[in-house]
Amino acid sequence: MSDSQQKKTFVVTRFDPDRDQAPRKQSYEIPVQSDWKVLDALNFIKDEIDATLSHRWSCRMAVCGSCGMMVDGEPRLTCKEALSEYGDTVEVGPLANFPVVRDLVIEADGFMEKLTSVKPWIIRAKQRAVEEGPMRQSPAELEEFKQFSMCIGCMLCYSACPVVANEPEFIGPAAIALGHRYNLDSRDEGAARRNEVFRGEGTVFSCSFANECSEVCPKHVDPAAAVNQAKLNAVIDWAKGLVLPRGGDE
Amino acid sequence: MSRNAHPHAMAPSKPGRTRTAPPQLPDQFPFRGRYLAYTLFDLTGILYLLLGFLALCAVWCLGSGEAVWNGVLERHRNVFYLGFHTIALVGLIFVGIRFFGFFPKAQPPRVGPVKSPPKPVILAALYALWIGVTVFMTLVLAGGVF
Amino acid sequence: MKHPLLKLEPLIWLLFGQGILFGTVLLTPWVLVVGLAIPLGIVPADALSYERAHMLASHIIGRLILFGLIALPLWKGAHHLRHTLIDFGGGERDARVAPLLYLLATVGSVLAVVAVVRI
Repeated sequence: MSDSQQKKTFVVTRFDPDRDQAPRKQSYEIPVQSDWKVLDALNFIKDEIDATLSHRWSCRMAVCGSCGMMVDGEPRLTCKEALSEYGDTVEVGPLANFPVVRDLVIEADGFMEKLTSVKPWIIRAKQRAVEEGPMRQSPAELEEFKQFSMCIGCMLCYSACPVVANEPEFIGPAAIALGHRYNLDSRDEGAARRNEVFRGEGTVFSCSFANECSEVCPKHVDPAAAVNQAKLNAVIDWAKGLVLPRGGDE
Repeated sequence: MSRNAHPHAMAPSKPGRTRTAPPQLPDQFPFRGRYLAYTLFDLTGILYLLLGFLALCAVWCLGSGEAVWNGVLERHRNVFYLGFHTIALVGLIFVGIRFFGFFPKAQPPRVGPVKSPPKPVILAALYALWIGVTVFMTLVLAGGVF
Repeated sequence: MKHPLLKLEPLIWLLFGQGILFGTVLLTPWVLVVGLAIPLGIVPADALSYERAHMLASHIIGRLILFGLIALPLWKGAHHLRHTLIDFGGGERDARVAPLLYLLATVGSVLAVVAVVRI
């Protein structure tokens, strides 16, 4: 059942904190099948050649966001990238702009903290009583934020963003997009609190509209749109705050 | 060849249990691939500062009398001024096209009760403004009107 | 960013936004005519003779347009120059550099007011 055996060389960044001073490259030449993704090649390397290789992956269908890596210099989901799109030598490295724990595994806790900081959940001024029934939302209301809810937290956008690279406090594309998703949700009443975060130390205004986040997003979330919409909303919120007393909304 | 990003880029507030390798910039940043257009876009900031201050000098000279104003017109015939303004025109068009391309998606779906116009309408309005003002002001400055 | 300008970022961004939009729109004909067409002789120089230039610039709309094409681009310029410097590794210096750049834009804007008023 296997296709005629093509070979490709994978130049993989390796880093073992117990052994290596700094990351190094290691080459693996392996037989590949025509329908393989980059992740299949990495799994083959780990299963058949070098069990010490560490990498994250899970769903294999581009919904979990686990397998983000730099492939030929671009942040990609390795389960989505067909090997047929790449040349005879493929470079695979850990996501740019992140501290590297080991090999292709990056430290994700920084992202988790930024994400939590925007409170990505429905915030209500008062808990809704069960007797009041469900919160109703029209299709038009859903359309306003649905695109931004498609984020799978894969962090490719953080790898592409020049501001993330240079300003550690910046909240970053995915977290802002998910916070904005809740600001746009008709059921939510937490925009004022989120806009305080958006205008805080991780300020949305640090974004310089490189649009790289949207270029690399595998789910077409368009985080650049979200961040820049969030800027305008934050300005309106700030202007209202100059004129109205604090807590006017909640 | 990779270079280091900010040493604390994407760092958690508390260090993890093992030593990590420092974050690396994307290979193509800042002058390769799509990053080139972005870097050039930001570099037009220098162009706009120069244009603004040159225009300030021109208007200041206009308020200083005929001889000084004629000096401005004379200076603009200098080859360096001509070269600068040629680059400036290219830069303005580049900025306009890139910025106008992004502008529609940067508008929230609604501001309060007011819905944003459809994206093609916003884009058309921006270009209509740019082309309309350019044509009108060119006619005015060139003596075709008023 | 424990930044001295954090509270002013919304205003700075608004000024930058107007700068890039109206600055680009207003500067395009200025550069076309004043920067290129008149010096190259495509348009006769007496189109902007002192008398005519003064007449156009003295009108309230002329003054507003001239103010716009001087001041607004300075905010776009300062903001983007700031971002360029950050992109080239200047994140730590930003707290000192950014206020200087916006001060430059502010001084230019104030001088723009003076310049159009004294015509």
